[in-house]
Amino acid sequence: MDATLIGQSLVSGLGIGCVYGLIGIGFCVIYNASGIVNFAQGAFVMLGGMITHVLLVRGELPYGLAILLAVLIVALLGVAVERLVVRPLWNRNAPMFVMILATLAAQIVIERLTYLAIDDQPKTLPVFTDLPPVMLRGIAVNMQSLWIVAGSLAIVAALALFFKTTRTGKAMRACAINREAAALQGIPVHSMLALAFALSAGLGAVAGIMLTPTQYTAFDIGVPFAISGFIAAIIGGFGRPFGAFLGGLMLGVTQAGAILAFGAGMKTIVALSILLLFLFVRPSGILGPAK
Amino acid sequence: MTSSPNIISRKGPDLRRVFPVPAQPAPRNRLAAAAPWLVAACIVGYALFAGGYPATVVGFALIYAIFVSGLNIFMGLTAQVSFGQSAFAAVGGYASAILTTQYDWGWLPAMVAGIAAALAAAFAIGYPTLRLKGHYLSMATLAIGLIAHEIAVEWESVTMGYLGISGIPPIDIAGYELAGDRAILIMLSLCVAATVFAVSRIRSSRLGRAFAGLAGSEDAARALGIDVARYKLVSFLLAASFASFSGSLFVHVVGYVSPEVFSLHMVILSFTMLYVGGIGTVAGPVIGALVVSALPETFRAFRDYQDLAYGTALILLLIFAPRGLAGLFAALDRKPSSDRGKGGTAP
Amino acid sequence: MTACLDVRDATRSFGGLVAVNAVSFQVMPRSVTAVIGPNGAGKTTLFNLISGAIAPSSGRILFEGTDITREAPEAKAARGLIRTFQLVKLFADLSAVENVKVGFHLRSRGGLLAALLRPRRVRGMEAAIERRARELLDLVGLGAAADLPASALSYGQGRLLEVARALAAEPKLLMLDEPAAGLNADETARLSSLIRRIAEGGTAVLLIEHDMHLVMNTADDVVVVDFGKKIAQGAPDRIRQDPAVIAAYLG
Repeated sequence: MDATLIGQSLVSGLGIGCVYGLIGIGFCVIYNASGIVNFAQGAFVMLGGMITHVLLVRGELPYGLAILLAVLIVALLGVAVERLVVRPLWNRNAPMFVMILATLAAQIVIERLTYLAIDDQPKTLPVFTDLPPVMLRGIAVNMQSLWIVAGSLAIVAALALFFKTTRTGKAMRACAINREAAALQGIPVHSMLALAFALSAGLGAVAGIMLTPTQYTAFDIGVPFAISGFIAAIIGGFGRPFGAFLGGLMLGVTQAGAILAFGAGMKTIVALSILLLFLFVRPSGILGPAK
Repeated sequence: MTSSPNIISRKGPDLRRVFPVPAQPAPRNRLAAAAPWLVAACIVGYALFAGGYPATVVGFALIYAIFVSGLNIFMGLTAQVSFGQSAFAAVGGYASAILTTQYDWGWLPAMVAGIAAALAAAFAIGYPTLRLKGHYLSMATLAIGLIAHEIAVEWESVTMGYLGISGIPPIDIAGYELAGDRAILIMLSLCVAATVFAVSRIRSSRLGRAFAGLAGSEDAARALGIDVARYKLVSFLLAASFASFSGSLFVHVVGYVSPEVFSLHMVILSFTMLYVGGIGTVAGPVIGALVVSALPETFRAFRDYQDLAYGTALILLLIFAPRGLAGLFAALDRKPSSDRGKGGTAP
Repeated sequence: MTACLDVRDATRSFGGLVAVNAVSFQVMPRSVTAVIGPNGAGKTTLFNLISGAIAPSSGRILFEGTDITREAPEAKAARGLIRTFQLVKLFADLSAVENVKVGFHLRSRGGLLAALLRPRRVRGMEAAIERRARELLDLVGLGAAADLPASALSYGQGRLLEVARALAAEPKLLMLDEPAAGLNADETARLSSLIRRIAEGGTAVLLIEHDMHLVMNTADDVVVVDFGKKIAQGAPDRIRQDPAVIAAYLG
């Protein structure tokens, strides 16, 4: 096999891996704030691309503004999911599996509403900068992949800064370590939960928006992306946001290699095999469990 | 039972006066207990009488009743969650379809092979994940649901891809093909009765008590010697075999199978049925399947709105009526309380 | 006589904090042993080490002469070491009598086939379990509450239900984690006589307790821990006068 081809798929694997990583971070942020695994995470990824498309094509807004608005709208939708679906169950002390089930139902509802409100046709977005691919030792790296990698790294750095330096970020970390103790110290645990949903919905939206120009988005892409994001989070050690990003990169690269070796049909099966491998051999992930 | 230090038979001081207890609940009202079964019998009876379209709808509902009863063992009795039961139905359905059409197997060995394959798949997924926290299993099962769908689509040489497999023979007994509406309905009713019997027997057995124990508190169950991981796996395997059984029944009744049959739609529909009827009860899955199917839209053209309706209904049920119709039947069960057992002065 | 339970140098540290530091003691058959100590002395950690909820950093735990240090809780339960919890862990959706019936898990047999076919042997076993479960509820004084959901019981009743459920497993060693918490003085006195009777019936009892009155009236042997270390052990009368114990409690 020729080295260029391998290099090419490595690059595209890193790009998609960043996206998985951002989705995985979204899982961790909500999980740390509440212990809930939010199965509606994929809906946010799908909505990011979809809403941007609608604002751009039907609303005829400038691209940058459309992206900004889309991220804000999806973040608000995240809060809405928390308020309308999770909070009522949380307040009556519903078992965890009921909350997980409710988030899956929310995923289906959002997916179907999108289908009815827009349509079932795949949508795409223009690339962020319409420039020819950069050539690196014979490997063509398209600009969008660079955008994805750079954007993701910037977001991860900003998140690290947020968790380390800001009051709110520290409060969220305190909730992750021990919710009851955090509540006793006067941290508003409820607002933290809403904030976690907003943050992870926003992250999902950004991931979806960056990805759409290289692939496409449609009402039903959410669940597969959520699963990949979840696998990323498991590889990194569930509950460790930055581990999840690393896990996303590993998953993306492995998947790209598998596509090269076995063809695109094996994409999901390879992802599941990686999940099973980790669950069997090292369920605490490469970095070990959180806490 | 082994011999034990005898502490029970010793008559000690009467502690009952010291620990006053609330009054006993009223004895169960037999009619109220039978109410869900009467409702179910009426719906099936009507379909038998009417034949045609109602019989088809109720037939599907009965197949779902079996599928949801299996799900109920895992979710209702054991308090675990699986989003991928559709995969096990697909395994059963495709095993029956492929083995009977391409390899000329009889329906029974094909069905048994399907269940064996579903058990193997459930074991492979369940063994590692059930030792971990609940959400690992949820996500792994959701993934396997999608994988099953993908395999059904991609493995064209065996599954015919999107085209699906048609010409699956109906179930025959002693040379007599169960092909008419009414014959199918009777056969499915008997299958549901057997399923219900099995679930109720399991529920009131040592096995069912182990499920209930780990559902109530895993720590307490382990402290009583219940091997939590093992019983979760047993429960998961039971659910998978009922799913596979229902998948096989489906393809024989319809005569056709395609990947679309076992989609996420099936998963969300079955959860709605479970919560409508009442999770954790024996009758709940049957009532839920019949009621949700009988709602006019269910098997008609408005497919686009169905998942939206089920998803919304499910969220509302989870929030406002987590016990479903079983809660309603239980409310009927309340009778003015008798004098028995008040204030801890019971005989 | 072989000790029922033999704890040898049990140690457990969390990070830098040594919660339990080289604690050794024995529980003899048919005796009631109490572990006492100020709050945060490491009693509950010690209990969790013995029951298998957490693993010791070092040291050994022997049950009837067999090393069970690293066995899982369910394996220890199968040997006859049954515990209750400081914060009661009942099966809230089940009735009181069903809670106790779950406790018979180790004392009964049968899986899927037994459930489905329910042969005569299983029917007989089920009837015996039902009868004995109700007898156990009578024993702890909850006979009249047998058919109430566990969630309807008061806190104190919940504790007693947990004791009845543990007794259903016919333990050789019954470990009670603060059984008197939430009980009034009268109830505590009754609990004390119940514990004595359990011990006389042949079951060794190990309890952690704050209620000094209960401990002094019930226990044969008292182990005192403070800052994770055993500071005294002996009969209640001796412990009452032990200067180290007085210092720990007053200081």
